[in-house]
Amino acid sequence: MSGPIINWIDKRFPLTSFVKHELTDYPTPRNLSYWWNFGFLAGIVLVLQVATGIFLAMHYKADASLAFDSIQHIMREVNYGWLLRYMHAVGASAFFFVIFVHMARTLYYGSFRAPRELLWWTGQGLLLMLMATAFMGYLLPWGQMSFWGATVITNLFKVTPFIGENVVIWLRGDYSVGDDTLTRFFSLHYLFPFLIVGVVIIHLVALHTVKSSNPSGIDLKDKDNIPFHPYFTAKDLYGLGLFLIVYSVFVFFLPNSLIEPANNIPANPMVTPNHIVPEWYFLPFYAILRSVPNMFGGVVAMGLSVMMFAFMPFLDRSRIPGGARYRPIYRIQFYLFLLDMLVLGYVGYKPPTNPSIVVVGQVATLCYFASFFIVPFVSKMEERWLIKRGLPAGIMELMEREKLDLESRRENRRRKGDKA
Amino acid sequence: MNALLKIILLGCLSMSAFAEEAKLEKIQVATDKVTLARGAEDWMNSCHSCHTMKYVKYSDLLSLGIDKAKVDGWRGEAPLDTPLVAQMSEADGMAAFAKVPPDLSLMAQARDGGPNYVYSYLIGYYLKPDGMAGNHIFPETKMPDPLGISSATDAAQRTEMQSTAKDIVSFLTWAADPHQSDRTKLGYYVIAYLLLLTVLLYFVKKQVWARLK
Repeated sequence: MSGPIINWIDKRFPLTSFVKHELTDYPTPRNLSYWWNFGFLAGIVLVLQVATGIFLAMHYKADASLAFDSIQHIMREVNYGWLLRYMHAVGASAFFFVIFVHMARTLYYGSFRAPRELLWWTGQGLLLMLMATAFMGYLLPWGQMSFWGATVITNLFKVTPFIGENVVIWLRGDYSVGDDTLTRFFSLHYLFPFLIVGVVIIHLVALHTVKSSNPSGIDLKDKDNIPFHPYFTAKDLYGLGLFLIVYSVFVFFLPNSLIEPANNIPANPMVTPNHIVPEWYFLPFYAILRSVPNMFGGVVAMGLSVMMFAFMPFLDRSRIPGGARYRPIYRIQFYLFLLDMLVLGYVGYKPPTNPSIVVVGQVATLCYFASFFIVPFVSKMEERWLIKRGLPAGIMELMEREKLDLESRRENRRRKGDKA
Repeated sequence: MNALLKIILLGCLSMSAFAEEAKLEKIQVATDKVTLARGAEDWMNSCHSCHTMKYVKYSDLLSLGIDKAKVDGWRGEAPLDTPLVAQMSEADGMAAFAKVPPDLSLMAQARDGGPNYVYSYLIGYYLKPDGMAGNHIFPETKMPDPLGISSATDAAQRTEMQSTAKDIVSFLTWAADPHQSDRTKLGYYVIAYLLLLTVLLYFVKKQVWARLK
């Protein structure tokens, strides 16, 4: 970049060097597949949610007696209000879909392994913040499912030792979910996306420090790294086009397919819906909550089930790169885990009145945690088996190099210790 | 193996789950203005005495192409932007049914099954042995059979009532989401545009990546 204006700016702000470092010179593995598009897509969905949300907030009334009416005002009287609201509602589901694929890719290819642990943990933090934001946003339409969903989930905090009751009141601002809960959830629902933007920046700083992982899991030679722009901007934009087509099908033709019918009935504390279900993206975790007969245990299990992903860098002890690509047993584990998530999702959707559903849920919950706990043993055994069977030359080489690195680092430390 | 067992088990469970729910009649909801106007008129005749539609105004009915004189007749002294409030007061509703008849603005979206549910409910009235009307879909209902279908035995008369119910449900579906036809119309343009854009982006991507050796 050149020209007098750019020069003027560059003397005062590192614009050109920033663009160079982060985009036009930023080295990206050329073998990234389309599964690597989803981080970019998550960023776009975040922007869409913030943009539509800001305009919705101009017409929405955070007041228990007006909230439901104001949604209908947006849907009927505001120009293209229906478009804003459906984009925002579908956008929440799209956000989780994109994030789940993004996480599944990380798990499949073992992208969470050293040196990308902090990248993975900031992502875990983003997942928690996204869940909190979605949960609080769901209360705002003030329908039956909004009200009872918030009641059930805030009630879970009762299990906090000693001060449980007070924590629940503190969260709700009242003895039950009401106007005070609505106003604080609205305020926080508006705040959280901006915190998320902040953590996304941290996530990107971490990414640009360790660089992208890639399907082979092997650090590529310089000649196999290509600049992010224009290669991956072009690839990401094409992926964005595909994503927007699916998104638009939902926004324009199936917007109500993801909204529970009961949420079209105004919140009524006197009438409990037949069957309280969360949004689809919470169903597996909700199934785990219900599968533990004891409330305290259920809440702990649900919290752990979301947090288990953070332990993956410690649990996976295999040094074989490329995740499931070169590890047949890990691949089977991965697909069984996905299947287990689907089963849990189904169990979470069904009312727990059917005893066989409850049993399936409990078995699936055990499978969920077991599939994490067996990873250290299975990964080590698999590694031994694979080495015995013989690995492709490049992979052996890499593993040798990593071993040497580790030893030389230890050696350095020892020498420093000697000097001191 | 484990996975296979789970799938089979799930299959069995979902079968039994389907059997439990009452069977709903499936209908094709009409979106043309002629049917909607007819449905609105039927709604005014059969439902408006007890039910409110607080999110639908008399002026909205004009957009369906209903004669201004007819709307004026319905609204009487009320201004055009008044919502369709039930003729019966809430207190009278409480006295008559021990329950205020629910608002119908969003009824077509507020039950599992949507319009199919409302249609099946409207035509689901039958005569019980004691001579009272019961309902297959919602047995606890307090609403008296609005179309009189429980006592209609003549096939032609029943068909006519079913078609009236269909018109009312079409009107209710419109009332729950009045921008639906704008939405789908815009949707075709948006998706056509995105398809074109995506094809172009695909070629851009191919072109850019062709530079790599």
